[in-house]
Amino acid sequence: MEMTDLEDIAMQDAIEEEEGTQFKIDKENGGTANSGIMKRDLNINELDEWISYLMKCETLSENNVVQLCDLAKSILQKEENVRNVNVPVTICGDIHGQFHDLLELFKIGGPAPDTNYLFMGDYVDRGYYSVESVSLLIALKCRYPDRITILRGNHESRQITQVYGFYDECLRKYGSANVWKLFTDLFDYLPITALVDNKIFCLHGGLSPMIETIDQIRDLNRLQEVPHEGPMCDLLWSDPDDRGGWGISPRGAGFTFGQDISEQFNHTNDLELVARAHQLVMEGYAWSHGENVVTIFSAPNYCYRCGNQAAIMEVDENHNRQFLQYDPSIRPGEPSVTRKTPDYFL
Amino acid sequence: MYYSEYLKTLKQFSRRVFGKINRNITTSFPVMNYGTYLRTISIDYHIEQFLLKCSKLNEKAQIINLGCGSDLRMINLLNYNYKDQIAKFIDVDFDESIKLKDEIISNNESLKISLDASISTNKYHIAPSDLKDAGKTISMLTNVTNAKLPTLIITECVLCYMSQQDSQNLIDSIMNLYESGTWISYDPIGGGDDDMSDQKNKSHGNDRFGIIMQSNLRESRNLEMPTLMTFNSKEKYSQRWNKSVIDNKVDIKINDMWEILNHNVSTAEKKRLRDLQFLDELEELKVMQTHYILLSAEWKHAIK
Repeated sequence: MEMTDLEDIAMQDAIEEEEGTQFKIDKENGGTANSGIMKRDLNINELDEWISYLMKCETLSENNVVQLCDLAKSILQKEENVRNVNVPVTICGDIHGQFHDLLELFKIGGPAPDTNYLFMGDYVDRGYYSVESVSLLIALKCRYPDRITILRGNHESRQITQVYGFYDECLRKYGSANVWKLFTDLFDYLPITALVDNKIFCLHGGLSPMIETIDQIRDLNRLQEVPHEGPMCDLLWSDPDDRGGWGISPRGAGFTFGQDISEQFNHTNDLELVARAHQLVMEGYAWSHGENVVTIFSAPNYCYRCGNQAAIMEVDENHNRQFLQYDPSIRPGEPSVTRKTPDYFL
Repeated sequence: MYYSEYLKTLKQFSRRVFGKINRNITTSFPVMNYGTYLRTISIDYHIEQFLLKCSKLNEKAQIINLGCGSDLRMINLLNYNYKDQIAKFIDVDFDESIKLKDEIISNNESLKISLDASISTNKYHIAPSDLKDAGKTISMLTNVTNAKLPTLIITECVLCYMSQQDSQNLIDSIMNLYESGTWISYDPIGGGDDDMSDQKNKSHGNDRFGIIMQSNLRESRNLEMPTLMTFNSKEKYSQRWNKSVIDNKVDIKINDMWEILNHNVSTAEKKRLRDLQFLDELEELKVMQTHYILLSAEWKHAIK
């Protein structure tokens, strides 16, 4: 089933689609699971409550995370590998658990659902608030399924999150790995690419030597851990490069691809642009390959020490693009921002 | 191996310091492991080059590790390949750091065994001195070293904590004391240099790495790096060694650690590193490593 009608603020749609599939939601936190069809207003109220809670950088209870992931799964599994998105939409890059900067992003770009958002992955790892950031984005996705698109990044993976912080953060904040397992199981359902008005192809990493047409992506089986090689891996890992053709990626996964490859891909698929994230760029966005490819990075002062700006890209009804750059939000005296030192060599 | 022994004994003396170090070791991100690797092998490489040169000239040499902290480099140097080349290895740091290091070494069997011979022959010497007081440091060094021998000075993340005046005094007086030597210094540089003529780098314009580093370290650890933004480029960092030994040429080489990774680490070694630990954060590695440098300054006085 293709979700082409993006006009409605579609919680109603989601609920209607859900009718009969009986997802379960606790009425009270920690209460026993209450099976049956939810009343839609109650459900929306509950999600709204969670969202306002999450906006304050609080974590949901483990029970609520179970419910949230169940609901998200039922929505995401209906989405295609290539999700169709209409304009206007605001396209965002890596977030990496920098929760306060995610709030800044919504301040700069406008609150959801007034603004439609497309996030290109890497919500977790590195920053101190991966749990809060990914919970908020998934809750927003559940609340406004047709207004928010969340793609999978290479960090939405069981393996990578065990090295780069999300796993440890879940252990620290919930006392067990259950929540990590719930989220990483959910990550398998995230769509891997999006197509904005058939003109802007969005994904986390880049192109794959095994993918010439967007239709080939539709045939992939994405419901799995990010593989170490192959087209799905490449889409989440590859980088554009100054050298032409395909190259071996210094990251050890995916490929580098040159301008010739991007031009060919955009031509073959009748695209204006490939928009991707994945790489830290100091101005928050960077053009490459003669404006065939743009990199968008939305975590300012990455890892609290890189000093970069962040950016998001607004695409309006007429396909005009505008980049909005921003710096880390300064919140003097805010106790919730940990003053943990970023690592240096000292 | 020596470091795990060191850590084991450190635990008996200070659980707090042990906890801090242990946490850092066990939760280190790949970018940090890469950086530590680069720092370690490139300093080792310069030490080896220095000793190799001395061995070719058939000269004995001295090594002085200023602000040594818990560095255990001396153990391998005093026991393996170049042990006969080394006339003296001196570890210098603040009184309390030296005391702790001394206690740990004498209370750990394997560390003690590996250093016993060098300690009993006075080849390894561990000495307290506040480097801010160049005069006292020089008189201590004058007592335990030979100013005529080629001398290697190591400052690994030491000068960055000193004021401009203090670090210049230290450099000047040490280069004056020893007739010939090589100074190896590893430090962060602040970046964000306005004079940068390279347009490509300039487009990366608002380099705020140093400013952010200063404020991060100040807020969370109360640490000051007074000259981080003064010596914020390779050129400015190395000027301090040119000021000394005015009548003589000082041969200065300086690279940032990103250059070292790209030009001095072989493709095979890079592959080995990738196989050891997967590194996703290449851009971040670049940002960090372009803000750390390794300097080597070689001097020789005209014969008086």
